[in-house]
Amino acid sequence: MKISLNWLKEYVDLTGISFGEIETTLTMCGLEVESFENQNEIYKGFVVAKVVEAGRHPNADKLTLCKVFDGKETLQIICGAPNVAANQKVVLGKMGAVVPQNNFKLSKAKIRGVESFGMLCSEAELMISNDHSGIMVLSEDSVEGTPITEALKLNDIIFEVGITPNRPDALSHTGVARDLAAIFDRELNLPSFPTLSNSNAASSIFSIEIKNPELAPRYSAKIVQNVTVKDSPDWLKDKIKAVGLRPINNVVDVTNFILMELGQPLHAFDMTHLSGSKIIVRKAGSTESFITLDSKERKIDPETLLICDGIKPVAIAGIMGGENSEVTEITKNILIESAYFNPSSIRKSSKMLGLSTDSSYRFERGCNPSITLEAAERAAELIASLTGGTVVEGHIDIYPEKISEPQITLRLSQVERILGYSIETDKIEKILTSLGFSITEKKEDKFIVNSPLFRPDCEREIDLIEEIARIYGYGFIPPVERIAISLEKKNDDTILASRLRNIFVGLGFNEAYGNTLLSEKTAALYGKPITMLNPQSIELSRLRTSLIPGAIEMTAKNINVSEKNLRLFEIGSVFNLVNPKPATFSDFTEDKKALFLITGEANQEEWLTKPRKFDFFDIKSILNLIVSNFLLDNFVSYSYYSTQNNLFDLSCELTVQKDGKTHPIGFGGSISKNVLKEYGINQEVYCFELSLSELKSVQRPFPKFKDLLRFPKIQKDFAFIFDDKVKYSEINDFIKKSSSELLKEISLFDLYKNESMGSGKRSLAFNLVYYDFNRTLKDEEIDADFFGLIEKIKSNFNAVLRGN
Amino acid sequence: MNERILSIKNSFITESASVSDTKALEILRIKYLSKNGLLPALLSDLKNVAKEDKPAIGKELNLLKNFVESSFKEIKERIDSAGSSSKETIDLSLPARALPLGSKHIITQTMEEITDIFKTLGFGVYEGPEIESDYYNFEALNFAPDHPARDMQDTFFINDTFLLRTHTTPVQIRIMEKQAPPVRAIMPGKVFRNEAVSTRSHYQFHQIDGIFVDHKVTFAELKGTLVAFAKQFYGSDIKFRFRASYFPFTEPSAEMDITCFICKGEGCRICKHSGWLEILGCGMVDPNVFKSVNLDPDVYSGYAFGMGIERIALLKYNITDIRIFFENDVRFLKQFPALK
Ligand SMILES: [Zn+2]
Repeated sequence: MKISLNWLKEYVDLTGISFGEIETTLTMCGLEVESFENQNEIYKGFVVAKVVEAGRHPNADKLTLCKVFDGKETLQIICGAPNVAANQKVVLGKMGAVVPQNNFKLSKAKIRGVESFGMLCSEAELMISNDHSGIMVLSEDSVEGTPITEALKLNDIIFEVGITPNRPDALSHTGVARDLAAIFDRELNLPSFPTLSNSNAASSIFSIEIKNPELAPRYSAKIVQNVTVKDSPDWLKDKIKAVGLRPINNVVDVTNFILMELGQPLHAFDMTHLSGSKIIVRKAGSTESFITLDSKERKIDPETLLICDGIKPVAIAGIMGGENSEVTEITKNILIESAYFNPSSIRKSSKMLGLSTDSSYRFERGCNPSITLEAAERAAELIASLTGGTVVEGHIDIYPEKISEPQITLRLSQVERILGYSIETDKIEKILTSLGFSITEKKEDKFIVNSPLFRPDCEREIDLIEEIARIYGYGFIPPVERIAISLEKKNDDTILASRLRNIFVGLGFNEAYGNTLLSEKTAALYGKPITMLNPQSIELSRLRTSLIPGAIEMTAKNINVSEKNLRLFEIGSVFNLVNPKPATFSDFTEDKKALFLITGEANQEEWLTKPRKFDFFDIKSILNLIVSNFLLDNFVSYSYYSTQNNLFDLSCELTVQKDGKTHPIGFGGSISKNVLKEYGINQEVYCFELSLSELKSVQRPFPKFKDLLRFPKIQKDFAFIFDDKVKYSEINDFIKKSSSELLKEISLFDLYKNESMGSGKRSLAFNLVYYDFNRTLKDEEIDADFFGLIEKIKSNFNAVLRGN
Repeated sequence: MNERILSIKNSFITESASVSDTKALEILRIKYLSKNGLLPALLSDLKNVAKEDKPAIGKELNLLKNFVESSFKEIKERIDSAGSSSKETIDLSLPARALPLGSKHIITQTMEEITDIFKTLGFGVYEGPEIESDYYNFEALNFAPDHPARDMQDTFFINDTFLLRTHTTPVQIRIMEKQAPPVRAIMPGKVFRNEAVSTRSHYQFHQIDGIFVDHKVTFAELKGTLVAFAKQFYGSDIKFRFRASYFPFTEPSAEMDITCFICKGEGCRICKHSGWLEILGCGMVDPNVFKSVNLDPDVYSGYAFGMGIERIALLKYNITDIRIFFENDVRFLKQFPALK
């Protein structure tokens, strides 16, 4: 909200305190100054000047060659405005001044061959109004040389203050002044309110009824008759403009003035349009349509609170008035509404309507129910004095159940307990009273404190402690220099992810952070996506079910910028529906996954290296590394599929056996050509996604030391021609199963195909390693095992032993 | 005689230094060691030396002879070993085999750096779900259902019950539900706000929240701990300030600012000319939060804090557009290979 320093000074004397100190103090006490406009800076170098001569420019018809006296010297100025004339008092922007409208810094200029030493300004150029029809002409008694900051009172500082939602009281100049008065220990001078009259003149000509007092606890009103609605005087317009509002007329401007002064929203009705001389405050009850002040038709929800006259709605309570009862130039009699509405009711209605106003903004944060009548009285008096109207004696004030101030017990020991710093009791008392709290009872160890109704955020002891610390100054509470640490074992949920990250980074992978929100199309590639209730767009409407679709998108983007050889990994959460309408946490899954993706060349062509493209076996190599890192070696199995689902052409699944259970650790493979085509990718992409929770459940904590082999190994080779259909894994398993336990290692060292073997045949060459930890093996026992194995393979696979 | 010995020695040292091949070595050998060479000539002249000088001169001559002979041996070895490799010259300036350069994302790097500092201060590390219930994300953290405080965090909803967490603060409720004080935890993770994507804001970003709950935890301790963190992370010469603020789950609440490290407090575009940078929000745990987890606020007190990771990384790495974090262009990712 915009706060004018000049306006603030009407309520608190800030003499002797610099502008910088005020700015810092506001920020430090919780009223953060987000930016400010210092008119003294903005209007530096602009002074009152007198046009001594206005003659024709020798080279341009539309330009005037002026001699201008600035109080000290006479300057030659070229002016393009049509209204410039001799003897006018004008605003001169001197060289070095910066034109507010366009930030143009003035300097000596040559305009059509004639030198000019400054600029005569229009109101628009000075950002005083939108008038750019000609230069601004000042009154004749203006004195040459006077800075306009003085002559036009453009010496304010406007703070843009960010008010947090707990501080509705600070949404007004008096509220901000109260904090400053408390901090600088100065008097707070609130505006004087007219004395309330007991007359029933007002209530005899107009009546008010509240049907829903829980939503409208208080409704006060004043009547002003025979007003003449016209423009406001300059002082009022200036204030309204200073806080960023647009002056409208002398009635509406007064209601806005009170809003910005006291924080109490007011509304003025044209009484001629209020049928039945009455106001009824009630819930809409049914869906209605209503045209608001801004000429927009609004759909009103049955729960929305309306202000109605004898027959129709005339305003949406606390949000905006109706077009049907708006104050216009022909308005004669007005009713000033000053009410207190239930904050959450206003908030709901405002949300429902998608309409937030200065009024609703304050009501939904909590206004001051105790000030409605005073605010209405002050507004009525001001309106009467500006419009020539008469205030009808007395008022109408419906307040069925008086709201009482919360009473809080402040145990003085608690202040130190929370802050870790002792503040003197006197100081505590002073802070609280200067903020408007009343201490009704003082005991040795506690205060009984009444919290003012303009501070709805203060209803508990802790709220008072915050107020004390805030005004005392957080900076005066010294930070401790030692802390105690408890010695229990520390948890770390990120260990597993860090371990995987280190493996991937070591293998040359780059970590990616993908988007959790995906388009409907991308999310549909896999799983059962969760849909958002209020997405920004269909492109961001689904939660990812897997890291794979996002990784394909990343791949496509990188290929588009000619980065075709990628090693990417990501660790992140994915989500899948279990039940289409989730009501509990078990109706959907949230799992942390680690994905890695490779595409393009594993080795680029270099003078030392032959180029090689990534293939399926690179996926397996990386998996083997992870498997051994997590000590799963002996319990792992892979299953292979071709076209298992529409995401992959070739895929595999990694499972681990532990505790009699099969744990699916992950799946992956080569992304299907069809999917890749959709994303404009025409190179092979391999990826694999691991489940962190499964990995965690099967990982083995420590490797156990095994004695080093002290006896020689015996190596044997053979090669067989097998039928193509026989899988390597079958042969490998068979060899293991059919050999003695002395066979420790099997490796495939050659795979070979040749016409001479006949079609549908291939040769596989194995290297076998035999050893025993406890003794040296004899050649004869290994030969027996080895030749036995050869015979078994021959007969089992119908394979042909090669060579020898 | 002595002068002759010295002069022959010096000329031998000079001439032998430039010998680099067998041919030059042979010329040198002929000049000094052959039958008619300089050394045998010198030796034969020994007989002309006065008798009393003979032992001393003879010794000098012997030393010279030994020196020359061992020098010949060294030079020969040098030439031989050079000769064996010079047969196949390697251009060592040729490029090496390229090894892929892996990298952790700078969001990870920044989070790890912060996490490590708090670990040394005795904090455990906890994670929580990204889909949260309204209860954990708001209600248990003292956000009343219709309070405008909810507007501080624009929320993506899944339905009336579930939403994408808007901060990592709900993890503190989950920890305190399970674990009795003392609770000293930091909570890194991804969070979501329903905000339009621009250079300065994104609908997804990362946070680290922290909490410490025990007997006698004070605001002064909160300040001390966070100052220690800030000095460790931003440098020990920073100035700091704590100013009043508002979060529903803390009371009193504060924002911590440090002197802008870009302009050193002079005022610049990044710090909006204030000379200060807001680095985190913090405060004392609100009694209503303790009530949510059945802890007695008269028995326990605590502090909590939270900071946004992207903002820190933007400033630290001089990045001006937050969107680049999630575009995963490898040309960006590979720029930050630093690993701790
Ligand atoms: Zn700065």
